Amino acid sequence: MANHTPAAFENQPMWAGGRSPFNVSYGKLMMWIFLLSDAFTFSSLLVQYGAQRFSNVESAVTTVWPDPASIFNHFPFMHGLHLPLLFVSVMTFILILSSVTMVLAVEAGHRNSKKEVQTYMIYTIIGGVAFLSCQAWEWYTFIHEGARLYGNTFGITEQGYEHLHSVSFGDHFEWALGDRTDGPVPFAALFFIVTGFHGFHVFSGVVINVVVYIMTVRGVFERRGHYEMIEKAGLYWHFVDLVWVFVFTFFYLI
Amino acid sequence: MDFHVKPGEYDAINYIPHTESHGTKELWRTFWLLLGITILDFVIYFVMPATGLRNFIFIFFGLVKAYYIVGAFMHLKHEKINLALIILVPTIFIVGLIMGLLYEGNALTWVK
Repeated sequence: MANHTPAAFENQPMWAGGRSPFNVSYGKLMMWIFLLSDAFTFSSLLVQYGAQRFSNVESAVTTVWPDPASIFNHFPFMHGLHLPLLFVSVMTFILILSSVTMVLAVEAGHRNSKKEVQTYMIYTIIGGVAFLSCQAWEWYTFIHEGARLYGNTFGITEQGYEHLHSVSFGDHFEWALGDRTDGPVPFAALFFIVTGFHGFHVFSGVVINVVVYIMTVRGVFERRGHYEMIEKAGLYWHFVDLVWVFVFTFFYLI
Repeated sequence: MDFHVKPGEYDAINYIPHTESHGTKELWRTFWLLLGITILDFVIYFVMPATGLRNFIFIFFGLVKAYYIVGAFMHLKHEKINLALIILVPTIFIVGLIMGLLYEGNALTWVK
């Protein structure tokens, strides 16, 4: 790896000043520190989710925590079909794909190829907007079925689970009377708060990507001589993808 | 005072980062890996019964995906070990906190 330390600092101790002990620029280091603090924010939400969920496992008094994949079993343009986990997997795929185009933009930036950076940034922005649209659709469907921030009508009864298990993947499914009752209140609230918080991060990521794209088109980085700003925006974008990995695992799979 | 720095030289004010490309091979390999694990997640969800072992597999896969996103996409594998450590070490405590609070959450069911 290239060493950027000028000769005067070469034999100085690492922490003596005049050079970055982390060998990255100030902006990039601060982006990492910000992402660490953001990781704490999301962790506290996930910790809250885990504690709430585990306190509603098996109890005579409270209703059991609903099986999430059975609730998010819809797919656009396939109305009424029982397709658990499929739509959210497609959303995951979209986010992974936009992560790759982002990292390709960073790589193009390393070669100072303005044109390629522009192309890949456009793909990344399209991916981000597609993900947000999917999430909006999922929220719409969930609210339409009766989910609210302050209550939960998704307490699935024994009859409901029998009904769910009687249909196979891709069959027609409609909730029947007595399938659902009032469930643990934090279920819908935590879903809205955590996916909403993540969605807001995706939204701000898209805004950052648009700003960086405009700067690229206007030749700001070309004049500056390097495309490190793409790298910083990329760090944020990958972090959003990283958070989604855990939201996907804890909210849908488990 | 001359603030003009030659490319590749470190300067606290006019820092010019190194522009070294590692190629796209590793990136695409990471993409296929992430996609493969996600498909595997999907398959395991339907094939395996809902047990603790399945949850363990999902969490393990989540951590593998996190490793590849942070290591390859966010480039942390190629950064200095100093930087990698100040980012990664605090997250170990998060894992401890999550485990502790899951236990406490479970304990709440005894009270209810």
